[in-house]
Parts: sequence; C-alpha cells; structure tokens
Amino acid sequence: MQPTAHLFPRNAQKALADKTLQAALGRATGRFLHHRAEAVAAFPGFGEARERASEIKRQTLAQLDHHLGRFIEEASRRGAVVHVARDAAQAREIAARVAKEEGVTLAVKSKSMASEEISFNVALQEAGIEVVESDLGEYIIQLAGEAPSHIIAPAVHKTREEISRLFERKLGEPPTDSIPALVAMARRHLRAKFLGAGMGVSGANFLVADTGSVVLVTNEGNGRMGTVLPRVHLAVAGIEKVIPRMSDLPTFLRLLPRSASGQPLSSYVSVLTGTRREGDAEGPEKMHILLLDCGRSAILEGKYREVLKCIRCGACLNSCPVYQSVGGHAYGWVYSGPIGAVLTPLLVGLPEAAPLPDASTLCGACGEVCPVKIPLPDFLLELRADMRSQGLKTPGEIAGMKGYAGVMKRAGLLEALERVAGLLAQFFTKGKPVEGLPYPFSGWTERRDFPAAAAQPFRKLWKTRRGVQG
Amino acid sequence: MRDVDEREMLFRRLSAALGRHGSPGGTPSSPAGPTPPPGKESGRISRFAEALTAVGGVVLSGTPEEALPVLGEALRAEGVSALFFPQDDAGAREVAEALIPFGPFTLTTGEEVRGGNPASTAGFRTADAGIAETGTVVESSNRGGTLLPGLLSDVHVALLPSHSVVERMDEAFALYAEDPPRNISLISGPSKTADIEQTLTVGAHGPRKIIVLLV
Repeated sequence: MQPTAHLFPRNAQKALADKTLQAALGRATGRFLHHRAEAVAAFPGFGEARERASEIKRQTLAQLDHHLGRFIEEASRRGAVVHVARDAAQAREIAARVAKEEGVTLAVKSKSMASEEISFNVALQEAGIEVVESDLGEYIIQLAGEAPSHIIAPAVHKTREEISRLFERKLGEPPTDSIPALVAMARRHLRAKFLGAGMGVSGANFLVADTGSVVLVTNEGNGRMGTVLPRVHLAVAGIEKVIPRMSDLPTFLRLLPRSASGQPLSSYVSVLTGTRREGDAEGPEKMHILLLDCGRSAILEGKYREVLKCIRCGACLNSCPVYQSVGGHAYGWVYSGPIGAVLTPLLVGLPEAAPLPDASTLCGACGEVCPVKIPLPDFLLELRADMRSQGLKTPGEIAGMKGYAGVMKRAGLLEALERVAGLLAQFFTKGKPVEGLPYPFSGWTERRDFPAAAAQPFRKLWKTRRGVQG
Repeated sequence: MRDVDEREMLFRRLSAALGRHGSPGGTPSSPAGPTPPPGKESGRISRFAEALTAVGGVVLSGTPEEALPVLGEALRAEGVSALFFPQDDAGAREVAEALIPFGPFTLTTGEEVRGGNPASTAGFRTADAGIAETGTVVESSNRGGTLLPGLLSDVHVALLPSHSVVERMDEAFALYAEDPPRNISLISGPSKTADIEQTLTVGAHGPRKIIVLLV
C-alpha cells in the first residue's frame, strides 16, 4: 500500500468534516472501550497475563533469530514450505509465484494487516488471479474499492444504506435495510468462493515456534473456512509474530479478544500445523508460509524494538482521542492510531510519515490499555525528537519552542509578557480567540484558532482568590 | 535456491540487529509458567455451561429421553431440515438418527453439504474436549476427524463427553502438544460479525447457533 501519511493534516480535515464517519467513529470506539473495560474488570488475571505476555514477547524478540529458526524448522518438518521476503516487492513476487505454480485462479483471503503492507491483492491480480476478501468488513470495502479504516472493524465508516447500494450494484442483490439480510447475502456469495477457491490466504495472529503452527483468531469463521476447504493454504506474517511455545498461547488468547472487542475469547481460534496428514478427512495438501521482514529487522536493532511486541488488538486506536476524531484513513497507511503513528514512520521512513508522531495529545491512554505494555507515549515523544534531529521540524517551530522554554523559566519575564498580552488582547480582540495571526506565526492559525490572552493571568487570579479565602 | 539465500540473509540481519557475533544465539530463556486460572477449581461443568451460554451457545444435558425432544424442538425452531454427521462418528450418528422422529428431518452427508446442499443443515460431531474457562468446544483433525459439521452447517451440534471438560485453555492445548494435528479448532459461540454498523449479527460464515449436548 502506497503511504500517504505525509498528508495527515489534509486527510484529518476531510475526516472531521465527514458527519457519517464522525457518528460511526464515536459509536465504535466508545463501544469497544466500554466492552474492553467490562471484560478486563471481569477477569482478575488480566494484569498478570499482561505482565507475562509482555515479558514473553520481550524475551522472544531478544532471541528472535533462535525462535524464528525453530519455527521454520518445525513448520518445514510438518510439510509447510517457508518463504522469506526482505521487502514488499519481493513478497509480492513470491506470493504471485506460489499462486501461479500451484495453478490457482481464485484465492479467498481472511484479514491480514501484513498482507496490506505488501499490497498482496495487487500482486495476485496482476498475475491474473482473483482474490476475494472474506472478512465481511474487508469484503465490503474491497467491493467499494477502498482501504480498511480500523484494524478490527475495517468498514466502520460505512452505513447499511451504502452497503445495500453496493451489493445491489456489485452483486445484483435487491435493496434492503436489514443488516441480517445483508450478512446473509455476503455469506451466500462468499460460501461459493470458499468452495471454489484453489487457495486460502490468511495472516497469522501468532506463529508458534515449538510446533511450527499458524494461529488464527476470528469471530466470523472465515479464517477457518479458507484454511480447511481450499487445496492450498498460504499464510502471510511478519517475523515478529513468533511466540516460543504452544503453552504460551493461552496467555495471549486471554488478552487479545478482551483487548480487541471485550470478548473472553473470539468465536474461533484455529491452530494450523503443517499440511493435511495421511488419513485426514480434509485440509490443504500444500501449505506455504510467507515471512515478511519489510523493515522489521531494522526496528529490532534500534531503540523502538518493543513496538514489535504488538499483537494488533486495536485497543490503542479506540482509546486515542486523535483516532476517535479522525479515524483510520487519515493516517494514510495500513496502521492507524497510536500504533500506526509509531509503526508507520519506522516501516516506511520518518520523512514519509513525519506528521504522524505529532498526531497525539500524549494523554497516555494508549500505553495504559496496551496488553503487551508497549511504551507508546514514550515512543511518540522519542520520534518527535528524531524528527527534530533529522531536520523534519521547521526552524520556526524549533525557535518558537526554545523561546517558550526561555520565557517559562523566568517568572519575572513571564509576568511582564502576560500583562502586555492581556492588554493587547482586550484592545484588539475583546477576549475572543484569534483566527489568524500575522506572518511569521500564520502557520499556527491555519488549522486552529489562537486563544486570546486573558485579561488577568491565572497566577494572579490564584493569588487573589486564595487571599480572599485564607 | 532463492528462498534459502533469502532466509540466510534474514538470519544475518537478525544476528546483526541483536548484536550477535557469529551465528545464532543461545538457548531460549526458560518457559514462563502458565497464567493462573481465572475461576475456582470446583463446578467445571456448570462453569463451562455458564460461559458458553453467556456468548449465545446452548448447553443441553440429561438422559436421551429428556434431551432429544428439546434438541429436536431447537433444531425445528432454527428451520433445520437436514442432519449430517461424520461417517466414523458413532455417537453423532446415534443422536442424529434418534432425532428423526422429532423432525421432519432428513439425513445428508458432509460431501452433499460441501457440494452446496441448499437445505438448512445441522452438523453433528463428537468434540475432543471442552474448556470451562471460556465455554469453548475443542474439535480437531486428530485421528482423521472432520471439521465440516462445525464449519459448513447452519446449526452445529457438538457432543461433549462430560469427562473431557477441562478447566483451562492450557490443559486443552497440552492434549496436542506432543504431535499437533493439522487443525485444532476452538469454538466459543456462534459465527458472528459486527462489521455492519456495529450491529451484532450471527451466522456470518459458519453456524449461526451452537448447541452442546453433554453426554
């Protein structure tokens, strides 16, 4: 997927003006947050599981070569063919080659953020292979020709009317305002695809090193359809998805659904190990696993290593006041919200994604909800410092901040300036916010109003009131 | 081989990133113990039933004389007209055949359903295990078992021997840790989606209802 993260301010403005999106976002993030809070409160072991998961991930990353090596060895031993891609272009080439060599003409795919990173569908379509998204939300946005807007609710920005019109146009279905009817239509169309597909494509929520298993967590059950019925199973996953042991899975499964949607466990968890065995009633004859580096080994080397602990639950999105306001598309790439604001610059390069670390209020909510304790607020700050040292902040901004710091450190100077500002504000704006400052400060007010200085500085009010009371 | 070269290069990048000199590093750290159970140790079956019911599942128990009419009624209420079961699953066959008088139901096969049987179906299968912690039914391809009854049908009826209900997920995975089959499937409720206007709707791809018959 081509990143447009550098357009964040423009994309955000568009999102803020979209009334349907605003209503949907408010409802979705509120609902997810509420359900998560309830599920966490109802499960006394959450805190401990969180500590443990964070520690397992930290230790695994510190020896990623070992664990990944074990995973490849065990998966291969059980009949899987493991491929490794350095970057997106190479991953696309491998995916297309595998599909062609397997004689696939139709592939069904369940949700995979990693596959979005490499524009997987484009690669197969260019090779003349039809790829159908099977997660309902993904299916809808694929029909509409759009990109997902939320990790676990990709079509959160669409209304039932829009979806009905889309099904009418693309699938020849009669119009309806019934959501169950829409779901039934999609089920019927997708069932035919599942039964006809030569290859099922999945992501991986976890890769289990000691058994070589690929683990999928879904509610719809599309992940299991696509990995039981078609002759070939291709799993696409980032190298950081590995966990050491099958016995580690329960810890992560206690955290992921609770953090994502507030469920104790998603409806379906599939642990898929190698190809079908002799005597098996069904299952794929061929299993391919495509492991993506795509910038991850570079992250592993640096100070942001812990971001690779992410299990893609989406809790940080829902808790983020910026995400709640602008939604996923504004972030301009695969990952959105706080995790996107950290991951995107690291995967596509800070110059490409420079505004994202600023798209945060640093309120800290993302760090609090993260089930694997990624220090997202620290990373956002750190990235801002990187932006500065890489010359990605304007000289005006740097000078302004220096000046601000200088004033704040000198109480006398601050008081004098406050008095002047208060008088000016009363005289020029009568206390109303300033909509446009003169150059060189005009950049500041392009997208926001500048609050007028109060007639009385807060510190003076504080002194007087306290004087009255005490 | 391109893939092998690419793999080698990945491991070189990882070693460099981890500051290793020479080739891949030592043994992994010792396993962290399992997370403690969320509930108390007694009343496993009732905790299983409570957890599955909470996510929209139905749990039936009692003698066949008691359970079969209730099950038949539930299937009719769901509009089910055809029943199928794995050929080698004697328990599932017995229950499905015993339900015929409570119909109208016809028997069909997994292959017919796979071929696009248009009738509304209930798929029967004996489960490997149950998990009390999450109200989960565990089914797998172990010993050639088929997953189609819980995959393609409109209603899934899982036969669960009471003695195979374990307390925690850890115990369920331990059953397969030695030599995992191709497919271990944890089922905790009906197939569902909230992808349209965040409205919870069942039957997205798999069964819209799961009924567990404790045997």
